[in-house]
Amino acid sequence: MAERLMAEFASGAGLAAAIRALRADGHRRLEAYTPVAVPEVEDALGQRPSRLPYVVFAGGMAGAGLAYFLQWLLVAYLYPIDVGGRPPHFPLAFLIITFEMGVLAAALTAFAGVLVRGRLLRLVDDVQGTEGFESASRDRFWLEVHLDRPDGDERAARDRLAGLGALRVERPPEVPA
Amino acid sequence: MAHPILIGRPTDAELGERLLGTTWRPGGRGWRVAFAVSGAFTVLLAVCVTYTVTTGIGVWGNMIPVAWAFGIINFVWWIGIGHAGTFISAILHLFEQRWRTSINRLAEAMTLFAVIQAALFPLLHLGRPWFAYWLFPYPSQMQVWPQVKSALPWDAAAVTTYFTVSLLFWYLGLIPDLAALRDGAPTRRRRIIYGLFALGWNGRSSTWRHYRTAYLILAGLATPLVVSVHSVVSSDFAIGLTPGWHSTIFPPFFVAGAIFSGFAMVLTLVIPTRAVFRLHDVITDRHLDNCAKLTLVTGLVVAYGYIIEFFIAWYSGDLAEMQQFYQARPFGPGNAVFWIMLGCNLVVPQLFWSRRVRTSPLLLFAASLLINVGMWSERFVIIVMSLQREFLPSKWAGYAPTWVDLGILSGTIGFFTLLFLCFLRVLPFIAAHEMKELRHQLAEEHGERAEAHHG
Repeated sequence: MAERLMAEFASGAGLAAAIRALRADGHRRLEAYTPVAVPEVEDALGQRPSRLPYVVFAGGMAGAGLAYFLQWLLVAYLYPIDVGGRPPHFPLAFLIITFEMGVLAAALTAFAGVLVRGRLLRLVDDVQGTEGFESASRDRFWLEVHLDRPDGDERAARDRLAGLGALRVERPPEVPA
Repeated sequence: MAHPILIGRPTDAELGERLLGTTWRPGGRGWRVAFAVSGAFTVLLAVCVTYTVTTGIGVWGNMIPVAWAFGIINFVWWIGIGHAGTFISAILHLFEQRWRTSINRLAEAMTLFAVIQAALFPLLHLGRPWFAYWLFPYPSQMQVWPQVKSALPWDAAAVTTYFTVSLLFWYLGLIPDLAALRDGAPTRRRRIIYGLFALGWNGRSSTWRHYRTAYLILAGLATPLVVSVHSVVSSDFAIGLTPGWHSTIFPPFFVAGAIFSGFAMVLTLVIPTRAVFRLHDVITDRHLDNCAKLTLVTGLVVAYGYIIEFFIAWYSGDLAEMQQFYQARPFGPGNAVFWIMLGCNLVVPQLFWSRRVRTSPLLLFAASLLINVGMWSERFVIIVMSLQREFLPSKWAGYAPTWVDLGILSGTIGFFTLLFLCFLRVLPFIAAHEMKELRHQLAEEHGERAEAHHG
C-alpha cells in the first residue's frame, strides 16, 4: 500500500487552493474530506459530475414498467372481472400505480446509488483512525495525499503541505489489505 | 426590510455545537411532563386499538349509511398534515428557497410521524387488520388478485410510496449529521449507535458529489408526490357518486387543504420548539412570517374550493347536490361542525394579512391550532355529512362517534407528539451541515456586498 499523508485545512477555499497547487506539482491521487459539500473542492479535484441521474432514470422506468405489467397480468389476464363496464385492460386506471411505483423505484435507486457509488457501508475505513480526523465532520477540511510518485518522499511532502497552509499533517493508520 | 434568515455570524464549530448539542443535553422538566402526557395518550391509543381489534369495528360509531366516519376523517387529516413537510423539504429546495434550511428536517420528521398515524386508520378500518396483506398482490392459492381499477389499491400504493420516499429523503439528509454526532459523541455507546446509522460516512468529496445529486433527485421525485398523494386520496371520494363527493374540483382542493393544514402543523410544532431550545437566531421571525404567508395562500385556494363546490352544486341542477350543500350542511344535523370549518378555514387565515400577526408567535400558534381544528372539521363535513344525507330520504340518519373513536383520535395526537418529542432528543432537528453551508453562502454574499460598497 502506498504511503499516504492527511493534512488539515481551515477552510474549503484553502483546501481547494492546496489541491490545485498539488495537482500542478503532479500529484494525481488526492481525496478531500469536508464537513459540508464544497463544489470548489470537487472542481479542483477534477471530478466529473455524478452520473447517478441516468441510473435513477433507468431504475424508475424499470419500476414503472414492471408495475404496469403486473397490473395488466393481474386484472386483464389472470383475473379479469367487469368493474363499472371498464374493459379488462384499462390503461387510465393503471396509470396511478404505474407512476407511484416508478417514483418508488427511482427513489430507492437514488438512495442505493449514494451507498454504492459513494462507497459508504464500509466496515473498514482507511482514513477514519487518523489523529484529529473527527474535525472533518465539524469545521475542518482534510486532504488525503498518496505519495506514489517515484521522487515522493515524506519530508518534502510535509513541508509542501505546511507551506500550502495545512494546520497539521498526520499519517493515517495502516489498514490491513 | 425583511427579517434575516440567520441572525449573527456563528462559526461552523459553534453552529455544530448548538444544533447537534441538543442530543446530548438532558431533557428539562417541561420535556418530561410533555413526554408523560403524550405517553399517557399513546397508552390510551393502544387500549382503544386493542379493544377495536379484539371486538370488531362495531365499537366505533360507524353504521349504515355513515360507513366511513372517524377512521377515514383521521386518515385524511393526518396524511394531509404530512404534505407541508414534503413541500418544505422538496419544492422549496428545488426553488432554492434558503429559508427552508432551518425547518426542513423538523417538517420532514413531522411528515413521517403524521403518515404513521394516518396509516393506522385504513388498517384498523379493515376490521381484520391481520389480512392487510390482501391489499398487495401476493401469489395466493385462491388466485384472487387486488382489483387495481378501484381507487383503494391506488391509495395503498400512493401512501406506501409517499412514506418510503419521505423516509429516504429524510434519512439521506441526516447521514452527514449522524456522522458528526458519531465523531462528537460523549460516550462509547452513543458513538457506536450513531456510527452504525451514519453508514460509514466520512465526508469524502466523491461521496458528497453523488450525495448532492441524489438529494436533488429525491427532491424532484418527492415534488410530484406532494401533488399526487392527496389527489389519489381525494379520488376515493371523487369517483363515488355520493352528493358532495362526486366532483372534479376534489384533487386540487384536497392538495391545497393538505398543504394548508400541514403549514399550520409546522407552525404548531416550530413555535414551541424554538422557544424551548432558544433558537431565535436560527429559526427567525422570517421563517414564521413565510410559513404564515404560505398558510394564507393555500387557505385562499381552499376558500376558492369551497366557493366552487357550492356554485357547482347549484349549477348542476341536481336536487341531491343542492339539498346537500344548501340544506344538510348549513342546517342539518351536526351543522355546528360546518360552521366551525368555515370560521377556522376562511376567517382565521385572513388574520395573516397583518404583518403583526405573522410575526407574533403567540397569535400564530393560536391561529395554527384553530386551522388544524378547521381542517379536521372539513373532513368531517365531507365524509359524515355527505353520507348521512344521500339520495334517498329513507336512508337518512344521524351520526355520533363513540368513546373509542374519540380515544383513538386523541391517542394518535398523543402518539404523534410522543414520536416528535423523541425525535427532538435523539436526532439533530435542524440540519447542521446544511446550516453551515448556508452560513458560508451568506458570508460570501455579505463579503461581496461589502467589497462592492467599498470599491
